[in-house]
This record gives sequence, structure tokens and C-alpha cells, in this order.
Amino acid sequence: MKTGSRILIIDDDQDFVQALATLLERDGHSVLTAHNGREGVLRARREPPDLILLDVMMDERTEGFFVAQELRRIPELAHVPIFIVSAVYSEQPSMRVAPDRAWLGHDAFYRKPIDPDALLAGIRAALAAHPGAAPRGATP
Amino acid sequence: MKTLVLPKEHLDFFASVLQQFGEVHGPVAQGDHFVFRRLRRWSEIRLDYPRTLLPPKKYVLPPRECLFHYRPKDGYVPDTTGLDRRVVLFGVHACDIYGINILDQVFAGRYPDPYYQARRRNLAIIGIDCTPDEHCFCRSMRADFVSQGFDLFLQDLGDRYLTFVGTALGDDMVLATGGLFRAVTREDIEEYKERSAVRRQAFVLDPEIRDLPEIFEMEYQNELWEELGAKCVSCGACSTVCPTCYCYDVSDDVALGTLEGLRSRTWDSCLFAGHAVVAGGENFRGSRASRVKFRFYHKQRGFVTEYGRPGCVGCGRCLEVCPAGIDIVKIIDRLREVHHAAAS
Repeated sequence: MKTGSRILIIDDDQDFVQALATLLERDGHSVLTAHNGREGVLRARREPPDLILLDVMMDERTEGFFVAQELRRIPELAHVPIFIVSAVYSEQPSMRVAPDRAWLGHDAFYRKPIDPDALLAGIRAALAAHPGAAPRGATP
Repeated sequence: MKTLVLPKEHLDFFASVLQQFGEVHGPVAQGDHFVFRRLRRWSEIRLDYPRTLLPPKKYVLPPRECLFHYRPKDGYVPDTTGLDRRVVLFGVHACDIYGINILDQVFAGRYPDPYYQARRRNLAIIGIDCTPDEHCFCRSMRADFVSQGFDLFLQDLGDRYLTFVGTALGDDMVLATGGLFRAVTREDIEEYKERSAVRRQAFVLDPEIRDLPEIFEMEYQNELWEELGAKCVSCGACSTVCPTCYCYDVSDDVALGTLEGLRSRTWDSCLFAGHAVVAGGENFRGSRASRVKFRFYHKQRGFVTEYGRPGCVGCGRCLEVCPAGIDIVKIIDRLREVHHAAAS
């Protein structure tokens, strides 16, 4: 299992971010956080993460959809796994388009409320499979 | 043409899905103006914009582009940077789509331009209707409604858009949204007709252009051109913002002390003092009056002969930006007045 990776959480729900950060840190990862799309993109550029957990409905209800595309356009971040973690499909029934990778460019989709074990397993698998996600070990 | 309805509540979701067809760009506010640029979030878009500072021609004919590099070892190497960038331009007015259609004729016609064509192939256009302001005269120029040149065109019906599907790509966009659109009803059509009638009445400017080529033909020596020459400052702002002005200059940048360099093209303007200078220093349009006259004749007369319609689409940008207050609508009206006064 690959641990010690840097994970960026982009989500406007500060309680959720705090809970998720605790979960990830317990699993051996270091965590970066951002509370809206713009902040998230800036953070990812400054400190490229090994994996990104991205919410959709933040300042506006499609924000994450645009952020995912923007992250994919940044060459140094283009191959960083993006997990969408959102309640958009349960809260917005009018969004009838499935989160297909062809348009969203994400690597996995997790509905809120999340199953922590499933998410952690997914993160471990993605980090293990992704050659760019080098383990850092304990960050000094 | 296939027609559907998109409820406005789905517009942001629709735009999100459009990203699979390219970077989504649209009109956004910038200072006191509006510009087309990539959207970083949907709320940046301003679909109520009157007009953008620069027309969408910048997507197919950039203000400056490198055409090729040359090196003794490699010869000529085309610069294809950005030619494969796919862009979905959301919220283009009918007059600007007309502008692109005219440029298509210029750059894909007798002398096909591979750089233009590559960019054009990768540009998807989602048109949107608009409310004319005090500078708009697209209705006179028959550019207030388009039937081609767009992939989708959205007509505002209040809480929904009547959507014309213009191309197979537009149809793919609709299909990709998996049911955000619905079929058109009789009510939608009636609403569309009512709103179209209101829009037609909203035009303040409505110059008659039917006999304009003939008037221009007859008034070539009119003193109006000298008068305009005295006002024009040859800044070229009108051609920079014009959706159909396509003049460009080509220059070489050679690296000092080497045999390497690159050739690029940049937007030019027929208003610039050196536009008609040829080798040996002769300037065929040395006076400002001759340059102003040329521009008007090319738009309103030359284009009709060449392409069957004026080169002007009535977007109103030149009226808005000219620092000397040169107003094409007033010029057309005055020319007609003078012409008919002399005839009577």
C-alpha cells in the first residue's frame, strides 16, 4: 500500500473537509485544503498534489465540473487523479448527464455521504496505479 | 432545421457537459467592456452583453500568429501551435456569426488558408439572440438572424431557450446532455414569434442599404470623403474591432547573426498610413481621405461584387470605438440624401 501521499481536498463544506482530512491523515497522507474552485486550482499549481478530491457544488452548483476541466488543462496536473466527491446527482435531479470521463475527465466519482472505507480503498488503488504519485514518506 | 427547447434551469449543466467538445469560452465583463474568453466558472458568463470589444474573429484569425520557422538545417517548419485547440464559443450574436461566415468565404474560398481553416474546424459556435441597443443596425445589414454558421442557436423565451440545431456537432451536443432538452410545443413557437416581433421593433438604427452599391458607385468623387479624411485619425480602431476586417501584414523576425528566423502575421488596417506602401516607397493611398474612402468602398461596395453582400454586419462596434466620432450609419444616410438631392 502506498501512503504518505499529498492529497488536496477542494470542498466548501468546512466540517466535511475537517472530517475527511482527519481520515486521510490517519491513513498516512498529508492533506492540503481549499474551499472553492479558484483557491483549489491555485493550491494545486503551487503545491502539486498526488490526488485531488473535488466537490462539485461550491460557490455555484457546477463549479467542480469546470474546475476538473481546468485542472486537466494544466500540464503538470493533467495526470493527477481526480476523485469527484459530491451530492450533485442526488440534490440536483435536473442534472441528468452521468459523470462520464469523456466530458468530466475525472478518475472516480463518490456520492456524498461517502463510505470512508470505500474512498480510502479507492485512493490507495489510484495512488498505487499512478506512476506520478511518488510516496513522500513522512514529510519533514 | 431541428428545433428543441432547453429550460434555463439546465443551462449551467449543459455548459458543463459542453466541455467534452472543447474549452468553453463566452462573453465576460472586463472593466467597462465585455470580452470573449475562457470561462473558469459558469457564473462568469454575461449573456446579456450588448457586444464584445473584439469580435470572435480573434479565435480564427489571432491578432498575431507565427506561421513558420526557418532554419538552414530544417528548412521551413510550419508553426501549428494552438491549431488543434478545440473551443466552444458560447453566446455569439447573429451579427458576429455572420462575420465568421464572411471570413469563411474569404479564407476558405479562392485562396484557402490552412491556419484559418484549422482553427475554424476546431471552433464550435453556440449562438444566442440579443436585444439591440443604440449602436446596432444588423437588421439593416440582414444580419439579425442567421440560418447557418452555428452549431446551436439559443432564442430566449423567458424561462427557456428555443434551440436551433445547425450542425451534426450541435446534434451531438444535444445528445451528450442526455435529456436536458425537450420537444417544442405550439406555445413555444407562439412565444418565439411574439418576442421576435418585439425585437424587430427595438431597433433604433435602420439605415436603408438596398441601393447602396449604386449610390457608392455614383458618389466616388463626393466631397464627403475629404471631409471624413479630415476627421479620421488613422488609428485603425474601426478595423480592429470589425468582425469582417481581415487585412494582415506579414513580417520576418530574423535572429541576429544567424540564418534562422520566423515569419508571422499580424492584424493590419487599411486606415494605417503605410498600408498601401509598396516597394520603392510609392503609397497608393497616401491621404487619409483616400484610406477612409477605401475602407467604406471595400465594405459596402467591393464585398457586394465579390461575395454578394456587404462586408458590414451592423454590429455597431466601429460606431462605439471611433475616437473621431465617424458614424457609418450617418454616412450612409447622408450619402443617400446627397445622392437623391442631386438627382431631383
